[in-house]
Amino acid sequence: MRILDPAWAGLATAAFALLFNVRGKDLPLAAIGGALGWAAAAPLQAATGSQEVAYCAASVLIGIWAELVSAVRKRPAAVYIACGIIPLVPGSGMYYTMLEYVKGNSSKGLETGFATLQIAGAIAIGLALSGAASRLLSLRRIAGRIREPKA
Amino acid sequence: MTRLGDSSSINPEEVLLFAADAARVMLESGGETYRSEETAVVVAGALGGVEAECYATPTGVTLSFVGGDGRVHSIVRRIKRQAMHLERVALVEGIARSLVAGSMDFGAASDELGRVEALRGRGVAVSSAAAAAGAGCFTVLFGGAWNDALVAAVAGALVSRLPPAMARKQLPDFFANLVAGAAATLLCLGARRLGLATGADATVIGVLMLLVPGIAITNAIRDTIAGDLVAGVARGADAFISAAGISVGAGAAYQAWRLLGGGLF
Repeated sequence: MRILDPAWAGLATAAFALLFNVRGKDLPLAAIGGALGWAAAAPLQAATGSQEVAYCAASVLIGIWAELVSAVRKRPAAVYIACGIIPLVPGSGMYYTMLEYVKGNSSKGLETGFATLQIAGAIAIGLALSGAASRLLSLRRIAGRIREPKA
Repeated sequence: MTRLGDSSSINPEEVLLFAADAARVMLESGGETYRSEETAVVVAGALGGVEAECYATPTGVTLSFVGGDGRVHSIVRRIKRQAMHLERVALVEGIARSLVAGSMDFGAASDELGRVEALRGRGVAVSSAAAAAGAGCFTVLFGGAWNDALVAAVAGALVSRLPPAMARKQLPDFFANLVAGAAATLLCLGARRLGLATGADATVIGVLMLLVPGIAITNAIRDTIAGDLVAGVARGADAFISAAGISVGAGAAYQAWRLLGGGLF
């Protein structure tokens, strides 16, 4: 991973957050989620050799970040999740699927298409895991303490 | 649900309209299915509805409850357009929370929901700049050089104006995706031919990231995992059709370019 890549991912996330009409303080918070996800996904993919495992783990991280921020800011986690997964969602996979079909390699295209679906599935499972984990660990209570230290 | 004393004065028909509209605005703005259903049920309950049930899919909301008058009230709301507007999702959830906490009365909540629905998206200048930045950053992320990123930024800003322009002309989404996919590909191939961009792959991907339904595919699987099977399958079909539109457009543009002797690989 090049050292600046998470920053680019964060910037891309911020640009999409703008397009998704995220406002004010939520913008940088959403962008941090995207940068975190990419910073986790790229080295994990290099270490494990599996894009699915790496993206699933990165999505867990994005989900936990989103739940924490959402509890502190008292806004739905969807705001930070939808932006945070932007760098991970399989846009390039869909492009390569199409490219293989255009080249006439339909079996390669099918393979790429399934890999693309698997990545989307890995992200969804990661988010489901982090949602369940945040409920089990009462992340909201912890974040509540961050918000109101005296309580 | 136990606060019938202070909420029985509210007309159940109005509650029905309000709660269903809250769910509709959420779904139209990119909120999750389960959250929209939950919002409608919680709002109806806070305003005196008993046994509220909501069934939401990406294309419609059904809500029913037993009102303070002891009669069953129900409504169907169709959803035709969808555009990501996460600020609206956050504000509608805020209204629901205030209603449940009792810090907002029904009249104020109604006015607030009307105000939230009237919220506009960002202007042409800001959204074009954001599209340019997004396309440029993704090109760098996918291994493009800086000149590729610049080409992608310009193409991204141009292509991002196409779908809204076509929506105004009442053209279906599929057609808008098809034209946008073709335009993105042709712009990038043309720029490479002119020597402005070095590689086409990273540049085209950067621009297409603005169009591809990556979020929709992921949300389809998330809905299905959450048990909202019909909503999940419907979102999947929606994502598949947009992906097909973009691919057909981009693929046709590639083939046309190759036939016209532009050189491809």
